[in-house]
Amino acid sequence: MTCKDAREGFIDIPNDEVLRHVESCAECGLHFSALQDVVQALTPPHRIAASNQFRERVMKRIVEEGSREGARPQSYWGRARWVTAGCAAALLLFLIPMLHIGGKSPAATLFAQSADAMSKVQSVHITGRIRTLPGDNFELIGANYDFVPIEIWREYSNPPRWRVEKPGRVAVMDGKSATMYMSASNTSASGGPYAGFVEWLRPMLDPQSILQNELADRTVASADLTESNGVTAAVIRRKAQGDFTNNWVQNKSIQESDHTCIYRFDSASKRLEGLQVNITVDGSEVTVAEFTGFRYNESLPPALFALRLPENVIAVVAPEDMKLAAVTLSGPKDAAAYFFDSLAHERWDDLLAVMPFSRIPDGWKKDGAGLQVISLGEPFKSGLYAGYFVPYQVRLRNGYVKTHNLAVRNDNPAHRWVWDGGF
Amino acid sequence: MVAEITLRIESWPQTIAEFDRLIEASQDELVHFASYRLGNREDAEDVVQEVYVQAFQDREKRRSITDVRPYLFRMTGNRCTDFLRARARRPSEEAADIADNDNLFDSLAAAQRMAGLRSLLDQLPAREAEVIRLRAWSELTFAEVAIAVKSSVPTVKSRFRYGVERLRKLLNLQGSPI
Repeated sequence: MTCKDAREGFIDIPNDEVLRHVESCAECGLHFSALQDVVQALTPPHRIAASNQFRERVMKRIVEEGSREGARPQSYWGRARWVTAGCAAALLLFLIPMLHIGGKSPAATLFAQSADAMSKVQSVHITGRIRTLPGDNFELIGANYDFVPIEIWREYSNPPRWRVEKPGRVAVMDGKSATMYMSASNTSASGGPYAGFVEWLRPMLDPQSILQNELADRTVASADLTESNGVTAAVIRRKAQGDFTNNWVQNKSIQESDHTCIYRFDSASKRLEGLQVNITVDGSEVTVAEFTGFRYNESLPPALFALRLPENVIAVVAPEDMKLAAVTLSGPKDAAAYFFDSLAHERWDDLLAVMPFSRIPDGWKKDGAGLQVISLGEPFKSGLYAGYFVPYQVRLRNGYVKTHNLAVRNDNPAHRWVWDGGF
Repeated sequence: MVAEITLRIESWPQTIAEFDRLIEASQDELVHFASYRLGNREDAEDVVQEVYVQAFQDREKRRSITDVRPYLFRMTGNRCTDFLRARARRPSEEAADIADNDNLFDSLAAAQRMAGLRSLLDQLPAREAEVIRLRAWSELTFAEVAIAVKSSVPTVKSRFRYGVERLRKLLNLQGSPI
């Protein structure tokens, strides 16, 4: 080995030959020693690790970013009532198709074939039914509720458009923005292309990505694929997510239930043709959602993606644009007390400081005016919900005693306490 | 028939789940690198967080990149440079933050030594300094450093050699020219 070779060699981790040369050549020995001294001086004295919360903090940002990309949620009201909207829905939607599944597995094969089949689809019209309450948010389910019909239309145009509708509630995305209308309260909310209005149904707007999304979800407890009679079934099982120290919201949404999703793909066309969702309640499985109609490449009329709102519609207002409360609301119980006090004394302007509406619906005035608060309990959290539930008992003017939990939250940019459900 | 489902990250991550795994695997070495570059962990975490967010935002166009690790170091290095240009920080703050160790006096001394080294590195040509930082403050090989600085392995070795020689002179270390 020449001196030149040796000096090239000890810039990197020296091998045995270089080390032997260094030992036998005084000049190279000096060179090597000088290098070692500088490298030693450069070596950091400590390893510095990321803090404990760092990963969680970054993941939160990334989930938000993913949500913003596809959703640009602007409307606070559009968020799920029972879940932390941005996170749960965005996790499902944005765990997108790039996941590498074991090369020769049936899942990988189905993936590729299904994605290829769906790439040729121009539209899909999905029909199904969900155990929920008409008019309530799309997230709400209940094992004891009756089935309510639901329809989803998705057009793969550029930009894409969609519509989701059940009795009493419709959400439409016209390619630029989304609008949701609730007929019972004559209220509407608007926001970005997804705006969190359709919550757990969002993956249904991208049926080509469903399986990938499901398999990429870290909360999947198990995933099986079976094939029989021309149908490939993917069965995904998950445990309920959230803190159920108080189980108020347990089994009130899919994510907050132990549940099983059974996807059915046509083995020949590889297109999704069915989804059944079962939740486990007291050890028994209850079907809470079924989607059985999948019609591809129907011609969808443009009117489907335009929503004409009544002229007197009540708009949902962003918390930062709401009027200020007459008193400082220091927490959820304060907010609940202010809410009921405003109702009881018919101070509708004050009520607008905690109700994110442009004006109070007449039905609220009729039902809530003159109510009497019997008790307000201590606020609690439950499941994935980012806000608080405040137990209450009130006597309405007609004598009816109502016992329920008022949902209030302040996880908005303005940190304003706002009513979010439960009355 | 049960499908075996395995996750592998063989290229630039594309899903949130893959990013979670990437962050778990790389957060410590990037924060370590940025901490020594910036002088404290708080700023380093801010910078590395932005690197991950940018990596997520750009995931589609970076899909073909297979050497994820050196690219992350490159992004971190660039962000650190931007950060340092944008904000001048007092050396005393740096020392206090790096001194996150059981032996405060040793740590303070070490922090001051590293602050001095950063100052010396700043006197080197930028390309030489960057190669030295990447080599000394991370565990990247020269091949990976070459990817990180968009250059060839012989070139980064030369830069390293020249940079170390300059440092040796600046440090007044004994020995013959390298």
